[in-house]
Amino acid sequence: MSELKNDAPKLSEIKKEHPFRVPDNYFEDFSSRLHTRLETEKQALPNPKSRIIRLLKPAIGLAASFILVFLLVFWPLKSFLPSYMAKNNSAIETTTTEEDTYLSILEKIDENSFFALLSESSDEEINDFNDEELMSYVSSNFSEYEIYLETANE
Amino acid sequence: MKSEDSALIAELKDDNQRDLAFHKLVKKYQERLYWHIRKMVLNHDDTDDILQNTFIKVWKSIENFREESSLFTWLYRIATNETITFINSKKRRTMLPLNDATDYLRDNLISDPYFEGDKIQMKLQEAILLLPDKQRLVFNMKYFDEIKYEEMSQILDTSVGALKASYHHAAKKIEEYLRNTD
Repeated sequence: MSELKNDAPKLSEIKKEHPFRVPDNYFEDFSSRLHTRLETEKQALPNPKSRIIRLLKPAIGLAASFILVFLLVFWPLKSFLPSYMAKNNSAIETTTTEEDTYLSILEKIDENSFFALLSESSDEEINDFNDEELMSYVSSNFSEYEIYLETANE
Repeated sequence: MKSEDSALIAELKDDNQRDLAFHKLVKKYQERLYWHIRKMVLNHDDTDDILQNTFIKVWKSIENFREESSLFTWLYRIATNETITFINSKKRRTMLPLNDATDYLRDNLISDPYFEGDKIQMKLQEAILLLPDKQRLVFNMKYFDEIKYEEMSQILDTSVGALKASYHHAAKKIEEYLRNTD
């Protein structure tokens, strides 16, 4: 304090009192006014349940929009174009059944019989040619000179 | 005092006793915090808003109070932060430079119907207004509230040496203003 008197004599002359006052009963009423505001604040605070919903809201929204798009596209197609859908479905079914049949036949055949079947079919193809047919094929597709060259090389 | 506050903190952290304990806390500290804020913003209505915000913040964060400082220090710190936030928001709204809220506060002082000081007290308030925010805060806390530097150091998170220097500079500036306007 004496330090203040030396450093700031003018300041130390001024009475140290509050030049401000408050409205009547301010401190008596403050607590109840604060209580009212606190109640409002408490009501404004979200409860944990609604907080979870708020967090999940974007995900739920996204899922709902996917469902909506699906319903808007697939459902009208199914209801307004029933013949088109039926056709498509039967084509898919046919392909599936044919594939299934082939697979079941192949499963039943063992390795030896499979190769025997293959050689049999190639023999048949070769045996299909007779000499006359071969002669006519050669004469129509090759000239005499080419036939001569081929036979001379042998 | 300390054990009284410890009991109050325990009650505040207990869900069943919180409302009553909070009421006790408000009754106990409202005046001291009010004057601490009022000396910074000068106007009663602004002070009332800041004081309410301070106690709302106390209510919301009492669970996180770790009792590393005394309850009084913690309350003062919240009130100080709320006051500085308020002054800064006023500066931003009125497009004032960050260190100059003097005009706004001077208007507050002149238009305040609850100022009842004499001429010399008005002059002292004007001189205090010219100080930078931090110096103003330190001066008010030391000169009017007579808070110890050690306690002030905890509230303002500043070293005792820096606070002493701040107070010394503030007192010198005020003395100069009073002399020049005589």
